[in-house]
Amino acid sequence: MSAHADAAAASAPGSNFGIAIRRGLTDGAGVVAILYVILFALYALWDRSALTVSGVTDLSNNAAPLAIAAAGESLVVISKGFDLSVAGIVSLSNVLMATYPVEGPGGALVSLLICLGVGGAIGVLNGILVAVLRLQSIAATLGTMIMGQGLALVIMDAPGGTIADWVSYTLTDVLFGIIPISGLIVLAVVALWLVFRRTDTCMGIFAVGADETAASLSGISVVRARFAAFVGAGLLYGLAGFMLSVQTATGNPSAGTPFLMLTFAAVALGGVSLTGGRGSLLGAVIGAATLMLLQKVLFSGGVSSFYTGIFQGAVMVLAIVFGSVISRLASTGARA
Amino acid sequence: MTSVRPSAALQPPADTRRIGRIRSETISTAAIFALTIILILASRFVSPALGSWDQVDTIITLASFLIVVAFGQGLVILVGGLDLSIASMITLGGVLATTWNGSLGSEWVVIPAVLILCAGIGALNAVGVIWLNIPPFIMTMASGIVVASAALGYTSGTPRGASPDAFLALMKGSVGPVSAVLIFVVIFVLLACALQSATAFGRRLYAVGANREAARIAGVATWRPIMAAYAISAVCAGFAGMMLVGYANGATLRMGDSYLLPSVASVVIGGSSILGGRGSFAGTVGGAILLTTLGTVISALGMDQGWRTVIEGAIIVGALLLLREDLIARLRNRSAG
Amino acid sequence: MTTFRKLLMTTCVAAGALASACMATTSSASADDAKKFKIFLSLSYSGNSWQSEAANIVKALAQTPPYDKEVELKEVISGTDPQAQIAAYESMIDAKADGVISFPISSTALNRTVKKGCEKGVLFFMYDATVTEPCAYNVSYITAGFGENTAQALVNALNGKGKIFLSRGVPGNSVDKRHTDGAMHIFKEYPGIQVVAEYYAFWDDRTTQQETAKALAAHPDVDGIWAQAGEFGAIQALRDKGTRLVPMTGENSNGFRLALADPEAQKNGLKGVSAGSPPATAGYAFKLMMEILTKKRDLKAMNIQYPLPWVPADKVTLCKGDTFEDGCNTFPDGKVPSSFVTEVFSPEFLPELSLKSALDGAPTPGKTIQPLPAEVVKAPNEPGINCQKCDPPADLYKLTKIEPTVKP
Repeated sequence: MSAHADAAAASAPGSNFGIAIRRGLTDGAGVVAILYVILFALYALWDRSALTVSGVTDLSNNAAPLAIAAAGESLVVISKGFDLSVAGIVSLSNVLMATYPVEGPGGALVSLLICLGVGGAIGVLNGILVAVLRLQSIAATLGTMIMGQGLALVIMDAPGGTIADWVSYTLTDVLFGIIPISGLIVLAVVALWLVFRRTDTCMGIFAVGADETAASLSGISVVRARFAAFVGAGLLYGLAGFMLSVQTATGNPSAGTPFLMLTFAAVALGGVSLTGGRGSLLGAVIGAATLMLLQKVLFSGGVSSFYTGIFQGAVMVLAIVFGSVISRLASTGARA
Repeated sequence: MTSVRPSAALQPPADTRRIGRIRSETISTAAIFALTIILILASRFVSPALGSWDQVDTIITLASFLIVVAFGQGLVILVGGLDLSIASMITLGGVLATTWNGSLGSEWVVIPAVLILCAGIGALNAVGVIWLNIPPFIMTMASGIVVASAALGYTSGTPRGASPDAFLALMKGSVGPVSAVLIFVVIFVLLACALQSATAFGRRLYAVGANREAARIAGVATWRPIMAAYAISAVCAGFAGMMLVGYANGATLRMGDSYLLPSVASVVIGGSSILGGRGSFAGTVGGAILLTTLGTVISALGMDQGWRTVIEGAIIVGALLLLREDLIARLRNRSAG
Repeated sequence: MTTFRKLLMTTCVAAGALASACMATTSSASADDAKKFKIFLSLSYSGNSWQSEAANIVKALAQTPPYDKEVELKEVISGTDPQAQIAAYESMIDAKADGVISFPISSTALNRTVKKGCEKGVLFFMYDATVTEPCAYNVSYITAGFGENTAQALVNALNGKGKIFLSRGVPGNSVDKRHTDGAMHIFKEYPGIQVVAEYYAFWDDRTTQQETAKALAAHPDVDGIWAQAGEFGAIQALRDKGTRLVPMTGENSNGFRLALADPEAQKNGLKGVSAGSPPATAGYAFKLMMEILTKKRDLKAMNIQYPLPWVPADKVTLCKGDTFEDGCNTFPDGKVPSSFVTEVFSPEFLPELSLKSALDGAPTPGKTIQPLPAEVVKAPNEPGINCQKCDPPADLYKLTKIEPTVKP
């Protein structure tokens, strides 16, 4: 009898919504989204241009490369690994695009394929080293990162080159007058994730990250799951390099270096557990957007340069504490 | 019941192995050092002056900073964490040692004071990680950013002051034909290995790193080893900063940055698991020396920086392939047979 | 639940405190701002003496009368990520800046944002590092030929023969490339000169010391060293090995200049020239920008060349006070660290400065802003440095400071 009552209660639309909210809050993505909204509100309060189309477009263009890189990194982190090669792949794809610009929309497609190809190739290499040969991911990808950076230097020894006009003008522009195209590309990545999340491969990645032994005993191919994570990550890093070239309209052999620390910070901020098995790509994307927004908020809040570092550190720590408080509240609330 | 002595045929065969089995950790550490020596000898092809005692002395001197820092980083990684604040702690140790030297008292007062301050900051990292459940990556990254900002503001950008004499003597002096740094490194490595692998404190670190819950159930107050690890890491970084100041007779504000990634790399290449619970400092020392040697040999190659970087990365991957677990296990099984 | 409520309360209070601390550190009342020029000092890299001295000089000038009443200066440090500096520029443009004086992290990545700012009427002045965007003013010594002139000085000191080290800057950087290309252009003319080691020292004293030590391990019989910034580290590396020193050229650190003038060092073989990047460029750029904003000068966007300092060993003169008076150009040992970059003063362009300005960013009491000389030197076109689609002059690597004493 009580089972019926429970079932009836559970199917009532109000409580479903409540459950969905709670799940959203306990999932890291929800928490960092709240943080982003708060920061954006502060930003809009202090700087009127935050709410204009050009303001939003600037934010989107600025955050897109890191957001896509963080998305790739989160795949590897969920599978309980570290992928340092993001710095090398971003540099390499940026440099290739600037050295071999191809005009027009067809050219943009060719450049995109080159970037994806480079990222995918290094992702395959990472996959072989880590999944098949069982090297520690942090060490193996350190090696491939250094090789990638070296190749970038070989191709271009100083900043320069040109990016095709169509790429740098159209892709930083807006669609229908209000939607930034870079934002659409990030949304496309998120949409792909929402589809991918329901596939067996993705389940495998989560399982392997949570408990490798249990996963392999359940029949999941650990090698294939890890391999897929690294290749997927490599492709996304290539795309991130493409978007970076779009924004900076130039080639730079050290373009990827800042991405190393920032990508991991974005992933951690987005609620993806660095010990594997938990988290969401969407969280990493929002985490990246939050990091880039933070700089703007601190600027418009008038924080002087000396204090900027202190505030950045304090905000990062507070954000995590805030997040864990919220998620613990939500989960105890669900149990109550 | 009559006691029946089992007949000879039923007794287990006598243990005829002459030597005890060598632990896989020992083999992997030996392998790293073997690789380093091969690299040094191979560098003779690059330049005849290499492969000499002089080069080894230079390498040990240059590796000394990394060895000290990697010890602290290794302890934190052992308990399952990561310390990204060491770059700023190196800078802090060096900057404060020069700025306060003489103005706040004799260097024998200043040096311990700075190291205690570093330990305090390391303990703060541990507080955030243990009680506020902040992932070590974020906590140490945030504290690193804060400390770097504070140092920038405190010195207005130009750290003033000279190195404490103690560190000048350490880095530039020699005892007979042997440089003081070399002696220091040997003593430090011996003490650190002993601390990590042969004391109860070290065992607690391994226990907490391997399985924190099990350690807690076994009665270990898990917060103590973890806090000690972070504090020691900060102290090691601060000390390394002072060594750098002695080497260059001055401090600069970003001098720790180039040691962050190599410290993690040394620990991981040395055989420790990034997830904690396994590894030895001897392996880390091997990793640090291998990386420094690699850098020395690479910079002696007369080719474009791009290709040099590619080769450096390829050698790292190659070293990892040679040092990997299943290869070591096969070697060990063959040696015991 | 109560513990979590407490934690939640603490977090909210902390967040609130953070937000109000943000407001508190905002600069004072916006009522006055309408009359003042809004100038942003945009730094990227921030960790070494050179950067701090340049920034301090600008800050000191902004507080010197009459600019202290006319200028509201805000410093923004973006770090080494070009995207962070892009975001900073965008914020400055949105904040309706009158002028941005900046050390750009990339010669090309910031162009689009700079162009947007120019269209909105913001003046962009870049010091030392340059951008290839035509609407920005570049004020730099880069085109003045550091690489080729110092290379020739080294060749002269070595009589055209010998093994040398090349101590470079940051890999993949256009300034490093320009200097090295200029130097190699000269070295290639002399078959007796052999570059036995080339390393990247990241313009840092200690890294130079470490890299030079590694190179010395491979080539202990080096005859000379050509160095970019960080050169004093090379001398330390040589001294670590023994007493022998070699002819060297480097940039402007106080330690290097003191060593050049030291009779003991000269006896041990040190000869050379101190030339290189002057932080004073930042002050010159700032004053130029202010003269345009206060309508005392009419100058369209152009690339301006700052003179290359040139101090051979026999011209090193110790300063008795806190400024460059009587032609002095080096500070006594102990007054400043050895990594202090000495070229912070220019009696011609920046008479308002003293040592405290460079060290702390403080204005010099009693001084007021003096007008700059009317003439500005136009910099030659150098693709990749200060222009995109342009051709370099035919005599790109001509020697301006020194004559060759040895025939190739």
